[in-house]
Amino acid sequence: MVVAIGFEGSANKLGIGIVKDGEILSNCRRTYITPPGEGFMPRETAQHHRQNILQLLKESLEKSGLRPEDIDVICYTKGPGMGAPLAMVAVVARTVAQLWNKPLLGVNHCIGHRFARVLKISNDPSPGYNIEQLAKKGNKYLQLPYCVKGMDVSFSGILTYMEERTNSLLKAGYTAEDLCFSLQETVFAMLVETTERALAHCNSDEVLIVGGVGCNIRLQEMMGQMCAERGAKLFATDERFCIDNGVMIAHTGAEMFKAGMKLPWIYSSITQRYRTDEVEAAWRDD
Amino acid sequence: MSQLNEKSIELEIPFQTSRIAEVVYDVLRVDKEPKRGGVAKVLSLTGNILTVKFSAQLTRQLRVSVNGFLEKLDLTLETVQLFGPPVSESYSHY
Repeated sequence: MVVAIGFEGSANKLGIGIVKDGEILSNCRRTYITPPGEGFMPRETAQHHRQNILQLLKESLEKSGLRPEDIDVICYTKGPGMGAPLAMVAVVARTVAQLWNKPLLGVNHCIGHRFARVLKISNDPSPGYNIEQLAKKGNKYLQLPYCVKGMDVSFSGILTYMEERTNSLLKAGYTAEDLCFSLQETVFAMLVETTERALAHCNSDEVLIVGGVGCNIRLQEMMGQMCAERGAKLFATDERFCIDNGVMIAHTGAEMFKAGMKLPWIYSSITQRYRTDEVEAAWRDD
Repeated sequence: MSQLNEKSIELEIPFQTSRIAEVVYDVLRVDKEPKRGGVAKVLSLTGNILTVKFSAQLTRQLRVSVNGFLEKLDLTLETVQLFGPPVSESYSHY
């Protein structure tokens, strides 16, 4: 039986979760919400995490009903993400590991995408959610740059394209709803294309959608259609586990811990760039 | 730039116990200075006193580095106050 606590703070969400053998005992989160049209910057985000983390840790422990001595392993997001917020969270994870004398594991966070500056869409609860709501009302498709190179997708061209033309497009009869709709259709098509290729490459028949964008019903729909066509299974979930959270870090850490993985103390730093394929998945045998 | 222009700041921070000093030392020594920050930071521990020496060519570089360090120090100490004291005399993991 493994009890793991996970600290996540690679972006604007701060999450601390506790799991016991796959069962979630607590999953607490605070989100740093910026004004419309503004993204979150490292400094302010780190400040947000700094101000909330100790209270959130207390809350997470209380909710779980556990005492520190019941915990087997402390897990934190090592990267990828913004340096300053990651570092703040890692400091607290290292401190409690020392105070409670528990092993410490750094977990790879993986993939974050954000958008929605140009249209000044509210960041509350999240830009992606609001884009989805607007997109439901759009139907006039505007062709946007579609950029897939092998297994890589690039969204940067879309942002520039939109930034340059948003005002004139709005005048030309496209509504904000239409632009959101076009954005979703284009970006998700890129994701579905690469996912389908990944399935073929790896000879896999399962797809799991995660991340804040993973809550998007349209993405789940498009992915589901592709999966149905090739006889694959799609797994999707709702915002509790899609959006960055502490539980995902705790759970991954618990698997690593069970597999006997160890992190030498001097390597318990953070790294802004941390590729998914740098991780050795010692907890899997397939 | 020659070594002559180098400036340095040394901080001496005493703690209640040497174990707490050791915890803070271990937590803070892990993060390296950014490569292009131009600052060298050396931490050392003697009993209950943590010593940190920062050296750089520019005062601005020193200020940024010392500030960042003090912020992390504060967070570590606040964590110790809320979730301490340390349960063991030494850390028994890797």
